[in-house]
Amino acid sequence: MIDNFSLLLTHGLILLACWRLLSRADLDSDDPVKPQGFLAALRRKDGGDSRDA
Amino acid sequence: MRDLVFIAFLFAMFALGSRRPFLLILTYAYIDIVSPQRLTYLLLNSVPISLIAFVSSVGAWLIFDDKSDTRLSRRHPLLLILLLYCFYTTTHADFPDSAGDKWSWVWKAIVFAMFLPLTLRTRLRIEALSLVMVLSAGAIIINGGLKTAMSGGGYGVLNLMGVSNNAGLYEGSIISTVAICIIPLILYLSHYGTIFPTDWRVKIFAWCFCLACLLIPIGTEARTGLICAAILAGMMFLHVKRKALIAVVGLFALVCTVPFLPSSFTSRMDTIGNYQGDQSASTRVQVWMWTIDYVKDHPLGGGFDAYRSNSFRYQTVQRTVEPNGNVDIEHVTVVDKARAYHSSYFEMLGEQGYFGLLLWLVLNLGTALQSYRIHRRYKNERDPDKKWIAPYALAMSQGHITYMIGSFFVGIAFQPFIFMLMALQIGLFTYVRRLETAGDWQPMLRRAARPVPLEA
Repeated sequence: MIDNFSLLLTHGLILLACWRLLSRADLDSDDPVKPQGFLAALRRKDGGDSRDA
Repeated sequence: MRDLVFIAFLFAMFALGSRRPFLLILTYAYIDIVSPQRLTYLLLNSVPISLIAFVSSVGAWLIFDDKSDTRLSRRHPLLLILLLYCFYTTTHADFPDSAGDKWSWVWKAIVFAMFLPLTLRTRLRIEALSLVMVLSAGAIIINGGLKTAMSGGGYGVLNLMGVSNNAGLYEGSIISTVAICIIPLILYLSHYGTIFPTDWRVKIFAWCFCLACLLIPIGTEARTGLICAAILAGMMFLHVKRKALIAVVGLFALVCTVPFLPSSFTSRMDTIGNYQGDQSASTRVQVWMWTIDYVKDHPLGGGFDAYRSNSFRYQTVQRTVEPNGNVDIEHVTVVDKARAYHSSYFEMLGEQGYFGLLLWLVLNLGTALQSYRIHRRYKNERDPDKKWIAPYALAMSQGHITYMIGSFFVGIAFQPFIFMLMALQIGLFTYVRRLETAGDWQPMLRRAARPVPLEA
């Protein structure tokens, strides 16, 4: 009984959290922060990164 | 039935992960902490779900994830050296078979710790990983907390989800340490979380969760947990605003709690200061002395599970109070062999030698210190968008230090959980460093005229 309750509660919350993450655009990109890595620098040099436009 | 529920859950997680690949990484973190294959009897325990999740999460990151703002930290080379060094000691181990068994999961924990920070590119990802880590550990902790509240538990008898082989987080002292070390993260998430924004339901759940965490050392009667709780309480007390009020309320709560503690718990805690009267504690001291001698002859360590070659003979003092009030003191000779280290520090020393211990200390203390530096740097930040950084860094460093305190008495140097906590901190550090160098905003406490990036 306790085993099932604790499993359902925590696993339900993990699933709900992941479900909410699906609709969050900021999961993959923080808007205010510009990419600073090596590839981003290359893209900026080529003028190919729309986020820097 | 439980098998089907776990399979349905994992299918749902993989399905969600197919839409947002980062969720596959969370799925692996969940599997590493909860080990659902240990909780089932039929289907999952015959499928290498951990390996499947590991390969799919790394593969999805390689193929789909944006890597343009991925950054390495100075912790990465250290982790790589630790990985290679552990491989070297495994190939030269005293007990190749058992060393190979331990290596089979240690390498995954270290590689995942190197991989995770590369994926933690946004604030939300860092929060999501902390939330899944906390809730996954919660599956075991809430279970143990409820059972303790209802039955009182007992040393070695608290049944955590029916797992009886004391493996992973299901061992009493290990779950006690982890339960206490996640308390700061739970409190942080309940206050600053954006996945479950703070409201009365989140706060009630968080407080009940923290209570369950505190009940775990009582239920398992693990002295390590009590020491961790005391140290964490001290660290948190240093950062509360109304210290006098908190001290009075805390002491009052403590005094009210003591009468409700099981007598077996209080009598076991009484042995903390008297190691000679307790065989478990005496054995630890003997193993530690043996390890110090062992490493003098084997400075590079004996590989995983090198403790198997130890054997010793020592005397303990047993005090028995007779019915007439007399105290009977008896010297008992104990002969023991192949006893585990019962301390992460001696585990590292015996298995990986002086160099391995040094590397492990630099990694752990350096990471916790780095998080504390981030906290100091941002603690006066007034911008609402950046207020989360200082308390988050503080929660992580407090949790890490608590774990390091617990590590004095439990052999948990390579627990995947601590490597995840380390990765989380590296992820926060690289994120903050990226924000600073992006030039969009500057921290309040920067003293230098020109931007000085944090040292890794």
